[in-house]
This record gives sequence, structure tokens and C-alpha cells, in this order.
Amino acid sequence: MPQRNKADQDALSSRQAGSSDPAVSGFRPVSARFSDQLVAVLPRLRRFARGLTGSVVEADDLVQAACERALTREHQFQEGTRFDSWMFRIVQTIWIDQIRARDVRKEEPETEAERIGTDEPMRRVEARLALAEVRLALKDLPPEQRAALMLVTVDGLSYKEAAAVAEVPVGTIMSRLARARVALQVKLGGGRGSKDDAEAKR
Amino acid sequence: MQRPSDELLIAYLDGELDAETSKEVATAIARDPALAREAQMLGETAAALRVMFDEVLQESVPERLLAAARGEVGDSELDDKVVRFPEARKPSAAPAAQSWRRWASLPIAASVACLIVGGGVGYLLATQSSGGLVPQPTEQTAAASLNWLDNVAGYHKMLVNAGPNDTALVDIPADPQSSGGHKLALPQDFHLPDLKPWGLAYQGGRVLFIEGRPATQLFYTTDNKALGPVTVVVATTTLPDKAPTPEQRGDINMLWWRHHGHEYAVVGTANLGYLWNIHNDLAWQLDAI
Repeated sequence: MPQRNKADQDALSSRQAGSSDPAVSGFRPVSARFSDQLVAVLPRLRRFARGLTGSVVEADDLVQAACERALTREHQFQEGTRFDSWMFRIVQTIWIDQIRARDVRKEEPETEAERIGTDEPMRRVEARLALAEVRLALKDLPPEQRAALMLVTVDGLSYKEAAAVAEVPVGTIMSRLARARVALQVKLGGGRGSKDDAEAKR
Repeated sequence: MQRPSDELLIAYLDGELDAETSKEVATAIARDPALAREAQMLGETAAALRVMFDEVLQESVPERLLAAARGEVGDSELDDKVVRFPEARKPSAAPAAQSWRRWASLPIAASVACLIVGGGVGYLLATQSSGGLVPQPTEQTAAASLNWLDNVAGYHKMLVNAGPNDTALVDIPADPQSSGGHKLALPQDFHLPDLKPWGLAYQGGRVLFIEGRPATQLFYTTDNKALGPVTVVVATTTLPDKAPTPEQRGDINMLWWRHHGHEYAVVGTANLGYLWNIHNDLAWQLDAI
């Protein structure tokens, strides 16, 4: 199909020239392997983004933006390194940028009554574990602590891996996690007093 | 050791301490009932978090994200075609393998595990019947001859959820004395793949049927959280050779291929990059290139 090939060429040229504008053809030539890896990691990216934003729609917007950025920076991904960590880093970077932009514009993040998910068996589990309270408590955490919690506690990354994603020392991840976990516990009624609660806000 | 700091206690719970420090924290917990209670609560909160978010893994991925990942997004021109996030399907609340293992000893995780093991296969079947999580099936994957991939992925999922120390799902253990005289359905002169360089230890296998013939699914476990357990499938086939092909069932990734009358698959929760490298090693060991 000469037309598609021409379009691909145009898009490729556009990318090589540093442009991320996909409007040239509506199709970015991307290696099948890179695309496979990206598709495979989508569910985890959505989960991570959901934890960061607390919103289904915002999370998916964030993941879409991360995918688009990744495609324009495919050449920056180093083979032999962890693709999922690379993508987590992109998601977190975009999210932090959004928060900063919001702070500048003094916008409030969207508040939604959306559940993280729905289903009857889960409701039973939720009732037992007071998941709704966990969710609310999570939204109160500072962004960096929320990210650390999502990476390590939810996604199972090691401290070292999480530190690489957040681009901070392992000790920082350790301390963010401790503050986040203690703060959650305090908010959920198993706390140890106002001192820790105050510290958790730091 | 006096009362460990919050950082140490949580790092202990996360399995991030060296053996010596870990032992010290464990001793402190054993001596202090209040600390033990706190550790338990911290663990339960973490388990609740995982349960809450693991549900996301079981939702359908919106078409717009799949398109974005494939580089097919023409931003504004696709806006009208965006498939909105659908109602979550009835999931089985399966936590991610890596994080599940870490908390396997906690009561809350144990109760969640009951839900998981019961629902693992059901979930996978539901995933398939309703369109799946990720790639739309190709023509080849739609073929009935590939139903075995569903079977293999479902069993792998159960193995992951059962945890590395639970060998109840391994029909024929690695230890010949425990195998009860049963044998795996492996080709003659077949040497079990050695995946130790990947940190993967062979635990045993099970027999299944592919194309009406006995085949084998070999189980390997590892402490490497990034990799997770891996299973390798070896079968015989009359179908022509096929280049390594990625597949996905829920959060289970697979690479399968055919070579000279044999069919192979490497299955895991690790990303396709990892599986691809393991496939290269396997293919070399099995002379299956």
C-alpha cells in the first residue's frame, strides 16, 4: 500500500525531526515488540494511574498520554532494562507535571464519586476491610507518598526499583512508604496519635 | 533491638531487610505484642490496598488505550471513536502475584487467596469470552487449535495465586521420590530445561492434552519478584512450524511457537521482554529454534 507507506514515512520523518504530532498520518510506526510490551503493561499502568489520580477517567487520560509520550521516545528506551519501570516513570512524570500545572492554575483536581471498581463479591470484601475508608485515606496522602505506595505495596516493586522509577534514593522511598503506611493506619483508626498523623503530612 | 523504627518495621514487612536485621525485627515483634499487633494491622492495610487496586487489572482496557499503545492514535480524529471504560466485569479479586507472595502469611491475604484460587480459571474464561484484557485476538489466536493456551494460562494463574511454596497444584513433583512413579509426557531424550541462570527452580509439572496428545507443563518458581513463576509447555504437533508469537490472557503473558513437530510455550506474569529472553534460552536448550 504505497499510501500507507508514504504516511508511515512522513510520520517517521516527523518523529525523527523531534515532532510528536501524530496528525501527519494518524499512525505512528512503532516496532511490534515495543508495541507488544506497551500493550502488555497497560493494565498495570492503569492501576498505577488509578492510584495516583483516584479517578477512572483521569487515570486513563494519564495512561494515554504516557503511551503517546513513550511512542515518541521509543529510541530512549534501553534494551535490557525494565520496560515496566520505564513506563511507570513516564506516567509519574506526566502526573507530577499535571499537578504542578494545576497548582499554578490553582485548580482543584476532579472529584469523582467513582468507585475504584464494582462487583458484588468485592463489596463483601470491601465491607469487611473498609476499603472505602482506605480509598479516602489514600487520596489524602501527598502525591509522592501515594506513588511510592502504589509502586511498592500495590505493584510489588522492590524499594530499589521504585527508587529508580521515582528517581530518588532508596532511603527516600523507604521513608515515604513508612509515612504513607503509618498515615493510612492512623486514618483507618489504628493510629498512634496526632504526632504521627502530622508527620505523615510532611 | 529496641522498638524498630517505622521504616524498619515496614521494610521488614516488605521483605526488604537483610537477613540479620530482619531477624532482629522479627525478634522484637515476637517479644512485643503491641508491635506484633501493629505489624499485623500494617499488613492488613496493605492487603486491602492490593485487593482494591488489583480489581483494575481485571477490567477491559479501553480501546483508545490499546490504540494509543499501538501507535494508532490520531488524537482528535479518533476522539469520536473512543470506547469508554466499560462496567467492570465480575472479577475474582486476584492480587498481583508478586505482592501476594509477600503477604502470604497474613490472615487477610489468606482470606483473599480463597477468593482468588476459586475464581482464577473462571476469571480467565470470562476474560476470553468477553473480549479479553488486551490485544484483540488475531486470526490465529481465534483458532480452536489454540484453546490449550487458555488452559495453560489458567493453570499458571492458579499456580501464581497459590504461591511459591504451595506444590499442591504440581501433579508430578520434581523430587522423583514424591512423584509416586508418575511420569511427565515428555519426548524421548528430552532434557528438562535448566533455568537456574534466571533464578528459576524447577518444581515439577503436570500432564495435559494438546491436539489430543499428552503434553507437559513444567513449573519453575523464583524469588525474583520482577520475573515471577514461569511455566514451560512442551507438546507434540502435526502442524507446521510457527515463529514465536505473543499472547496474553489477563495478566498472564505467553510466547508460543512450533518447531519440527513440537509445540512450545513459555508462560509467566513477567513482561514479554523477559519471556522473550527466556524463550531464547529455552529454544537453544531444546534445540527448538
